[in-house]
Amino acid sequence: MNPNSAFPCGQREQFVTRRNFLWELGGGLGGVALAAMMNEAQAAANPLATKAGHHSAKAKAVIQIFCPGGLSHVDTWDYKPELVKRQGKPFDVDGKLQFFASKPGNCQQSWWPFRQHGECGRWISDLFPKLAQRVDDMAFIHSMQSKTALHGPAMFMANSGFILPGFPSMGAWVTYGLGSVGDDLPAFVVLPDPRGLPPGGVINWGAGFLPAIHQGTTLQTDVEKPPIADLFPSKNFAHLRGKTEQASRDFLQTLNRAHAAERPGNSELEARISAYELAARLQLSAPDATNLRGESDATKQLYKFDHEDIGTFGRQCLLARRLVERGVRFVQIFCGAENTGAKKIRPNWDSHEDIIRDHGYWGPILDTGAAALLTDLKSRGMLESTLVMCTSEFGRQPAAQGAGKGRDHNAGAFTAWLAGGGIKGGTAYGSTDALGFKAAENPAYCYDLHATALHLLGLNHEKLSFYNNGINRRLTDVHGHVIKEILA
Amino acid sequence: MKSFFLPQSLCLFFTSTVVAIDFDKEIRPIFQEHCIECHGEKKQKGELRLDAKPFALKGGHAGAAWVAGDFAKSPLFQRITSTDDEERMPPKGEALSPEQIAAVKAWIESGAVWPENLADRAAAVDKRLQHWSVQPVKVASALAETFGLKTELLSIDSFIKASLSAKGLMMSPEADRRTLIRRLWFDLVGLPPTPERVDQFVRDTDPRAYETLVDELLASPHYGERWARHWLDIAHYADTHGFERDQLRPNAWRYRDYVIESLNADKPYHEFLREQIAGDVIRADDQKALIATGFLAAGPWDFVGQVETKSDMLKRAARAGDLDDMVTQVITSTMGITINCARCHDHKLDPITQQEYYSLWSVFAGVKRGEREVNATESKRLAAEKVRLSDAIAQARTKIAKLTGEGFELASLIPKDSGIDLRNGSITKDKLGYFRDIAANKKVSVPSVPSALSVFLPNGPAPIPATSGHFWDTIANRPLNGQRSTTLGDTDFAIKGHTMLAMHANSAITFDLVKLREQSGLVAMRLTGLVGFGVSKEAAASRADFTVLMDAELKFQKLKLRKDETAVLDIELPATAKTLTLIATDGGDGINSDLLFIGDPKLVPKVTETRSTKAEALALKSLRAEAQKLESELKALPEPAKVFAIVSETKPPVVKVQRRGNPEDEGVEVVPAAFAWAKHAPVALGDNTTLEGQRRRALAEWITHPDNPLTRRVLVNRLWHHHFGQGLVTTPSDFGLGGDKPSHPELLDWLADEFLKSGWSLKHMHKLIVMSAAFRQQSGLGFSRTAAAKAAATLDSANRLLWRQNPRRLDAESLNDAVLAVSGTLNPAMGGPGYRDFNYTEAYAPIYDYITPDKPELWRRSIYRFIVRTTPHEFLSTLDCPDPANLTPARVNTTTALQALTLSNNDFMLQQARHLVTRIEKETDSRAAAIRRAFALAFQRDATATELQAAIPLVTEQGLFALCRMLINANEFVYLD
Repeated sequence: MNPNSAFPCGQREQFVTRRNFLWELGGGLGGVALAAMMNEAQAAANPLATKAGHHSAKAKAVIQIFCPGGLSHVDTWDYKPELVKRQGKPFDVDGKLQFFASKPGNCQQSWWPFRQHGECGRWISDLFPKLAQRVDDMAFIHSMQSKTALHGPAMFMANSGFILPGFPSMGAWVTYGLGSVGDDLPAFVVLPDPRGLPPGGVINWGAGFLPAIHQGTTLQTDVEKPPIADLFPSKNFAHLRGKTEQASRDFLQTLNRAHAAERPGNSELEARISAYELAARLQLSAPDATNLRGESDATKQLYKFDHEDIGTFGRQCLLARRLVERGVRFVQIFCGAENTGAKKIRPNWDSHEDIIRDHGYWGPILDTGAAALLTDLKSRGMLESTLVMCTSEFGRQPAAQGAGKGRDHNAGAFTAWLAGGGIKGGTAYGSTDALGFKAAENPAYCYDLHATALHLLGLNHEKLSFYNNGINRRLTDVHGHVIKEILA
Repeated sequence: MKSFFLPQSLCLFFTSTVVAIDFDKEIRPIFQEHCIECHGEKKQKGELRLDAKPFALKGGHAGAAWVAGDFAKSPLFQRITSTDDEERMPPKGEALSPEQIAAVKAWIESGAVWPENLADRAAAVDKRLQHWSVQPVKVASALAETFGLKTELLSIDSFIKASLSAKGLMMSPEADRRTLIRRLWFDLVGLPPTPERVDQFVRDTDPRAYETLVDELLASPHYGERWARHWLDIAHYADTHGFERDQLRPNAWRYRDYVIESLNADKPYHEFLREQIAGDVIRADDQKALIATGFLAAGPWDFVGQVETKSDMLKRAARAGDLDDMVTQVITSTMGITINCARCHDHKLDPITQQEYYSLWSVFAGVKRGEREVNATESKRLAAEKVRLSDAIAQARTKIAKLTGEGFELASLIPKDSGIDLRNGSITKDKLGYFRDIAANKKVSVPSVPSALSVFLPNGPAPIPATSGHFWDTIANRPLNGQRSTTLGDTDFAIKGHTMLAMHANSAITFDLVKLREQSGLVAMRLTGLVGFGVSKEAAASRADFTVLMDAELKFQKLKLRKDETAVLDIELPATAKTLTLIATDGGDGINSDLLFIGDPKLVPKVTETRSTKAEALALKSLRAEAQKLESELKALPEPAKVFAIVSETKPPVVKVQRRGNPEDEGVEVVPAAFAWAKHAPVALGDNTTLEGQRRRALAEWITHPDNPLTRRVLVNRLWHHHFGQGLVTTPSDFGLGGDKPSHPELLDWLADEFLKSGWSLKHMHKLIVMSAAFRQQSGLGFSRTAAAKAAATLDSANRLLWRQNPRRLDAESLNDAVLAVSGTLNPAMGGPGYRDFNYTEAYAPIYDYITPDKPELWRRSIYRFIVRTTPHEFLSTLDCPDPANLTPARVNTTTALQALTLSNNDFMLQQARHLVTRIEKETDSRAAAIRRAFALAFQRDATATELQAAIPLVTEQGLFALCRMLINANEFVYLD
């Protein structure tokens, strides 16, 4: 296909089903073909076998931290001195604007003071003192925008490039493009906030129309539950352990082998036999990956392991590092939930009423976990090959929400940052207008963020496509530019 | 375009006289050599083409390329003579020579005559219109002629054999009977046959045994349950809205049942489509036809964007997504063409313009998704009955109050266990959730509570406190949704002898004291009661206010009541007072945990009078009996039947093209219309004065027109896809230029023709297909055995020519249902609300937690599962059950380690294995018999000697359970030959 076409959506690559492919392969049916078939059967059992990208990669894995609800850029990453000058003055003089939930109130400066940090001298607010020390590793995109100011569609857009549900998430695309490094763990792992699912739910990490293997696997960190759903029989069937299981599995494979022998050339049957073997391996590797007890006290302290609020996110960040160490390709961590009503504090960054209360709560959580992750990855020499990204579905308004202390949704501007895996630290790309209301210089969308991340992983976002219902679909739709300015 | 100046050397062009120019000799070669690289078939810079007359005359994005007779005004001439390098054409290389420029000038001056040659004529024909799928369907007689056969000799097998023999191939032999019956059962009803039925079929010597089996299965009600799944995949049906606030659609199931019933009744397919698109208009008095329109509403819908947000721009964007989903679903499901490309630009492959796409929008512009009463007359009757009973109860209760002097219970004005919906004043038994979108201080009347003047969401002004403007649930004669406690002080107000009026912040209700006085006979009264929070001790700290107004005058106010406090009401209401308003507000800290209620709210006589005559005691007794009778009648009154379908406005808004798909950038107005390429019927579907329903009706007629070349072809191909695991066209929802070409175009047409002749009968087509030898072939590759199979595998590895049947894995739902059938637990109950295998927590964004209780109501067929969009069912998703956000014409199959885990360890599988054990133990009396029975049930065949040998030690050491568990994990269980 022609990557320069303005409408790559119009072109189509024939989607070769694995079965088609195998029959083609099995065509000759000599000994060589059969042997090849068996190899393919192995590969089919693990469609996540490592695949070469389109070009050489800077990053092998991605850890994406997602802050649902709308993280306020003007209180955190995006320094707006003009907003300080306009503090308390009307924001929308002629009263024409209507935000998601309100008419704008007066200009509201950041609730935390900004300071310059690091060699690069970037401005970061006091909400993030620890991340501020890592600023020389981070690259900021200040001109992010979304196509919508509604949580649900904006979450879908940030994760899949489309405001409608049903499209594959970025993690699914990455594993579709590259497979997994190891085969002992799922290639795309999701660590939702223990407080609950983010807006839009599980389909934020769905495979859309890609084969189901590419959907994100949720890892449970709750000690009561196995790390992966159905990894072991539930406690209602606690007797199914150890030797019992081995005998049953052996019996099953005997049946399956006899069945397959009667149906030569059907590689799906072989694939299914291998899948049961892989499953048995997963039963060993998954608990090992999630068992954090062996980590040193210093590490536990770094991630604030035992802190009631910060610790849960810290453990997720640590777990992400362990998963990447074990060959997981894409880890997504959610810093915030949606649907809990347990506390007066907002369950995510959606601070409509009180920025101090909600961002003040979530700030130290993100700050501690993310800074620890960057420090830890760096000290282990993993940061170079691991792309860490942090984003939200949109930003917040530079005006107060009505007469209150909160801010309304802002799809016109927000900040995302990246670090590690081929990123030039201490840089920034794009900017917002004087108040942080709208992206001004080099406006960017998730398409560009996704294109850049894929590029670092060795994937060309215009070539990574999948045919669905008449259209060759891409993560970046018909858009997207690699942001070269922030690449090392 | 910028002005240009002419250099001296060019001035001669202006003075030369007009001479006749031979276009083909002098001009066409210039265009060919210098222009068409960028303005031709491959590239169309500035949307201009100069390679053929029809394109050239159309001009580019800035308009005509020349003005005949006026070279100075002709952009073509301006550009080839420009001295600005940015402007001059051609952009690369030398400028045109002065002679060439002179020729162009002269040609324009002489009238720019372009004589048509062959290439011009060919270009005038749109090649896209020659695409196979938009040609008329060939009738059987015409097809017979092509094959040199008599019409009656045509059959599925004649076409399949012809293509095979052209390649020197032939069909595989017929599969054995056990394979056939298993294939047929899963294919037609989605369940495995019992070992007994298999046995009977295998032994049946009747030559019509197979056909009898086919007829039996097509007549089974399970057929509709199986095939409805395929249709609902295309309709992307689910039982919740999706998006952020993924709320329940408790009445969507009526549409699902409609699909099942229609298929079972073999409703003619064109009728089936017409009802789903416009049933409410085509047969306004038919409830089923109205329910059918649930099809249009089946997809996802964003509550926050459609309703909640205050931003009109966001609402327009959400509505645009909604209409796109609706038209895409209708066109893709029925005609197999993808249209949503044309939302932003003309379709790049198929002949669909952006304007045509928006013309389809205008068909649906007046349609919104929503709850609709199935029978409006009946609903009205029920509402009236509800008012009558409530009124009678209130009267009886007031009389009782008067006689006893106990006072009148305010809570009983609202029917027991019901609440007043603050949005519309209706009485509902449903517990409602979070509301951010109710207009503040807007008084809403409550028709079924005559003594209540209105309800409203309070927000200032003083003395009413300012509030967040949010609300939860209803004003109710029952505990609130999520209420943890009904005790204040030492009294539990939920027990007999007490009443409670629950009023979550922020809500208010105004009573008509005049009416209450008339009813009760009380003159001077007092309002008494106890106000407090219905929360547990562990709940977060919260404050709320309670205010009472009499005739809009402040009578009582407790501000910032703590969750552990109560407030006593004792308010005098003199004989002259006209209204009483109770107001619960949020205390300024949002509405979380503000579960306020009043315990025993009563109007009592100012002075208690004692009454004790015998007559009065008797009267009291009969009044109490009457009140009780009325109350039980009210309780028995059914809720009006509703369906999640469409709500339409008669005069839809005018639709305009949205440039680049941006709702904020509107272009030309469009009218309701179909695609211009179609020649089978007029494309106009009305104009912008056409009533809403008539537009849909016109579209339904256009789609189901017998000469529509796509509708029938698409459907027979969908059937073929499900019977063979692969369609004749392998892209069942894309018959456009980007889609697959049919492997057997004549067969596809023959089927489509047969379909029409049968009166659009689906069952006729099923029977035709499954009776064919092609369907009955073996599926094994068998290459090691025969040279023929080897040749076939080499020449046609994808089996497009069907030299064998395709082996298939069971889809998620069939696997689920097969497990239930085999273990003997399958609950055959049909229809009705879906089973919910999750715990539901009402919240701003509702929470769904899946559970696996071992209960018969969850053992119904999976078509009856309540489908949640944001939280897909983990077990089924792992087995490739698709996301209902997508239109899914063909499921993707994966084989993964997670599937192996879920099938071996999921509670559902283990519980069912246990039921299978119980079943077998009941049916057999020895270990050997039990093992044999287990194989027979799971695989519908006898165990082999090797299998028995392996099974005996397993059962001896681990028990029958281990065997049962592994049999329903086996490849043989999940694959069909």
